[in-house]
Amino acid sequence: MANTQSFCTSAKVDCLLAIVPNANTLKAALYLASATYNAATTAYSATGEVSGTNYTAGGVTITHATAATSSGTTAYWTPTASFAWTTVTLSTSFDAVLIYDSSRSNAAVSVHTFGATTVTAGNFTLTMPTNDATNGLVRIA
Amino acid sequence: MMAEPLIFTTKGNVPVSSLAYSVDWTVTDDFIKLTETYRDSAGEVVRESAHVKQLKGVEIFSAAGSF
Repeated sequence: MANTQSFCTSAKVDCLLAIVPNANTLKAALYLASATYNAATTAYSATGEVSGTNYTAGGVTITHATAATSSGTTAYWTPTASFAWTTVTLSTSFDAVLIYDSSRSNAAVSVHTFGATTVTAGNFTLTMPTNDATNGLVRIA
Repeated sequence: MMAEPLIFTTKGNVPVSSLAYSVDWTVTDDFIKLTETYRDSAGEVVRESAHVKQLKGVEIFSAAGSF
């Protein structure tokens, strides 16, 4: 046997648990295609957020029922199966969702894009990926 | 007698049968998006919904340095 230099998988899970503790309230906000949310984003901001009929600034609260876990050497976390905005009108093209922790000063967690989208008197649904080491919403490999 | 099904649009509740319905799929490595569009007889979009299935999240690659 030989020793192997590693970032321990249990520590990877601990990292995710620290970023998204199960007791915290997570939210999801939508952003215009013209906005610039990315890895440099530190917290939720209303700048560039969509606006329209039946959309509340700050977005929706997302169910956070599944704690971070691991498979093999990858830690992963996916918050919920899906979340939605119903009977909204969002006329200006939007293409991203920011997931953030409203229990931790609105700290940013992740940004996900899905192509330019508009909604007119309809629904917008986001379904999360399979919660596993290959597809999970946030993974540390 | 069954009432004609109505659907909510920018012009209130209107009979579904009076609208033209179309769908569009966007498929990438990261997401699949279904867009549903209803147009009235003038071709105006009166209802549009979108449904996104994220296929993959984001990944952080760890690296342990050596002394």
